[in-house]
Amino acid sequence: MGDPSSVATFQIGGLTFNTANVISGLIAFVLVFLFVFALSRHLTMKPGRGQNVIEWLIDFTNGILKGSIPGNETGAFGLYGFTLFLFLFVSNQLGLFIQIAVGGKDFVRSPTSDPIVTMTFSLATLMLAQFAGVSKLGWKKHFSGYLKPFVFWLPISIFEEFTNFLTLGLRIFGVIYSGEMLLKIIGGMAFSHGIATFIVAIPLEMLWQGFSAFLGAIQAFVFVTLSSVYISRKLEVE
Amino acid sequence: MFSHLVVAASLDTGDMLFYALCFILLMWLLKVVAWKPVNKMMQDRADKISNDIDSAEQSREEAAQLAQQRQKALANSRQEATSIVDSAKKQGQQQRDGILAQAQTDAQSLKENAQKDIEQERQDALSSVRNDVADLSIEIASKIIQKELSADDQKALIDSYIEGLGKQHES
Repeated sequence: MGDPSSVATFQIGGLTFNTANVISGLIAFVLVFLFVFALSRHLTMKPGRGQNVIEWLIDFTNGILKGSIPGNETGAFGLYGFTLFLFLFVSNQLGLFIQIAVGGKDFVRSPTSDPIVTMTFSLATLMLAQFAGVSKLGWKKHFSGYLKPFVFWLPISIFEEFTNFLTLGLRIFGVIYSGEMLLKIIGGMAFSHGIATFIVAIPLEMLWQGFSAFLGAIQAFVFVTLSSVYISRKLEVE
Repeated sequence: MFSHLVVAASLDTGDMLFYALCFILLMWLLKVVAWKPVNKMMQDRADKISNDIDSAEQSREEAAQLAQQRQKALANSRQEATSIVDSAKKQGQQQRDGILAQAQTDAQSLKENAQKDIEQERQDALSSVRNDVADLSIEIASKIIQKELSADDQKALIDSYIEGLGKQHES
C-alpha cells in the first residue's frame, strides 16, 4: 500500500475517487453510526449499560473541548468533536483488524492511513476555526488578529495557519500509516520462510497490533484536542 | 512509494468531497439519533438531581421544624400537666379547708343549740317541777286537811276563822 499503483481509482464527473478510501470510509461511517445507534436506544433517566457508555463518550469528548475552549462555547463544537473522535478512532482501528487487498490492490484499510483523508479533516477543523472566529469576533477583528503583534507578522501568521493544517493532518496519517506498514511487513515476514518465521511473527504481530490500537486511540484524542486548541485560539482576542 | 506523499501529484479531490459529505451526513445522523436525546436526558437528569437535592433540603428543614414543634408541644403539655395537678391540689386543699371550717362551725352551732336546749329544758323542767311541787303540796295539804277535818275540827276551824274575823274587825 502507499504506492499509488496499489489502489484502484475511478472517476466521476472529473473527480478522482480512490476505491479503497471510499469503501473503508463507508465502512467506518457505518460502523460509527451503528455503534452510536445501538447505544442510544431506550434512553432512560436511570442509565442502562449502553446509555452509560454513550454518556461517558459524550462527557469525554466534551471534556477534551472544555479543556481549551473557554466558557459556554463548547456546546457549538461538541457534536463536531464527538463525531470526529468516534470516526477517527474507528478509522484508526479499522486497518488493524481488516485489510482486504484483491489482485494487489487495497480495498479495505484504515481510511486515516491516506493523507488525503486526514488532510480533509484537518482542513475542516481549520475552516471551522476561521468560521468560528469570524462569527464570534466579526470580520475586522478576526483578520486583524493576523496583524498582531505587528503588521509585518502577517506572513508568519498565514504560514502558521498552513503549518497547523499540515501538522494536524500529517501527524495522524504518519502514525497510522507507519503502523499499518509495519503490520504488513511483519505479516509478509510470517509467510516468508515457512512455519519458523510464522511462530516468531505471531507474538510480534500481536504486540504491534496492541501498540497500534493504543496509538490509534491516542491519535484520535490528540487530533480532537488540537482541533479544539486551534478553534479556541480563533475565539479569543489576543 | 513516496510519490504518494506529494499531495499535489495525485490529488484525489473526489475523496475529499466524499469524506466531507459523509462526515456532515454522519454528524447530522448522530445528532438526530444520539446527541440531542442523550444530551437532553443528561440535562433532565441534572435538573432532576438538583431538584431532588433542593427538595431533600426542604424536607429536612420541614422535619427539623416538626421535631422542634413536637419538642415544644411536649414541653408545653408537661407544663400544663404540672399546672393542672398543682391547681387540683390547691383546689382540693381549699375545699378541704372549707369543709373543715364548715364542719367546725356546724359542730359549734350544734353544740351551742344543744346547750341552749338543755338549759331551756332544765328551766322548763325546774319550773314545772316547782309548779307540781306547789300543786302537790297543796293537794297533799288539802288531803291532809280534808282527812283530819272532822266535825269537831271543822267547828273549831270555823270558830277560829270567825274568831279571827272578829279580831280582824277589832284591829
